Amino acid sequence: MNVQFKKGILEICVLVLLDKQDRYGYELVQKISDKIEISEGSMYPLLRRLTKEGYFTTYFQESTGGPARKYYKLTEQGRNYLHEQMQEWKEFSRAVNQLIEEGVSNE
Amino acid sequence: MNKEQFLKSLDKSLKRLSSDERREIIQDFEEHFAFGLEEGKTEEEIAASLGSPNQIAKELLASHHMEKVEATASTGNIFRAVWAVIGLGFFNLVIVLGPFIALAGVAFAGWATGIAFIVSPLLVLVNAVIYPETFALFDLFLSIMLSGLGLFIAIGMFFATRGLSSGFVRYLQFNVKLVKGGMKHD
Repeated sequence: MNVQFKKGILEICVLVLLDKQDRYGYELVQKISDKIEISEGSMYPLLRRLTKEGYFTTYFQESTGGPARKYYKLTEQGRNYLHEQMQEWKEFSRAVNQLIEEGVSNE
Repeated sequence: MNKEQFLKSLDKSLKRLSSDERREIIQDFEEHFAFGLEEGKTEEEIAASLGSPNQIAKELLASHHMEKVEATASTGNIFRAVWAVIGLGFFNLVIVLGPFIALAGVAFAGWATGIAFIVSPLLVLVNAVIYPETFALFDLFLSIMLSGLGLFIAIGMFFATRGLSSGFVRYLQFNVKLVKGGMKHD
């Protein structure tokens, strides 16, 4: 899939994963890379950018045995942004699906 | 590539950032390696799935420079941001550097004209000192008039430069969005 196209979608994926619970970086990266093929390293610039834009706050929590985990927490602003983005995505994907179906049924 | 090589290469590409910011970034990746190793992956496997440190650094630098430009639009900052945006893709060389050079050229020409007009009476006086026999009042009055005109041009250029640079910052932002493949319509 087109790299640039994927980046926009990754934003929605990260936001939606943080909607219900806080997660740490590695967990977020794995959750997404299980389903979508990405270069995992590009997730960290994305996380930093969204944090700087005020959509997340971060905090550290000790884990048993491992290193301290940096958790990301969605802010109110981030939640609003997520809803906007989801709405846009739904409209967009509906339109694409419709075009695909029309294309297939015309064959 | 193992962990040490990966982190070293990333750190080296991030020289422009403050040491605090660099430390934070390196820490994020150290954490990533630690969890990966815990899951039984090798350092090489983890580094391979992270991708190129250079590319990661480019993305970090581009958004860093954009923030700086937004905070204070000084010439140096704008210039660095131009380079960062160009770094995102060779494709951008023409659409970013082209307008930048054109705008900088126009601004430079405007200022040069204004300043030359302003100092023209001085030139007439210097001329009069060196070759007193060629001095004509007409030249002096003409140059004083030019000087006034020059002042207006300079004032105009002051606002024009400000407008141009803020317009260009917006153009850069649009470009970063475009390169990053933002799906926003705004």
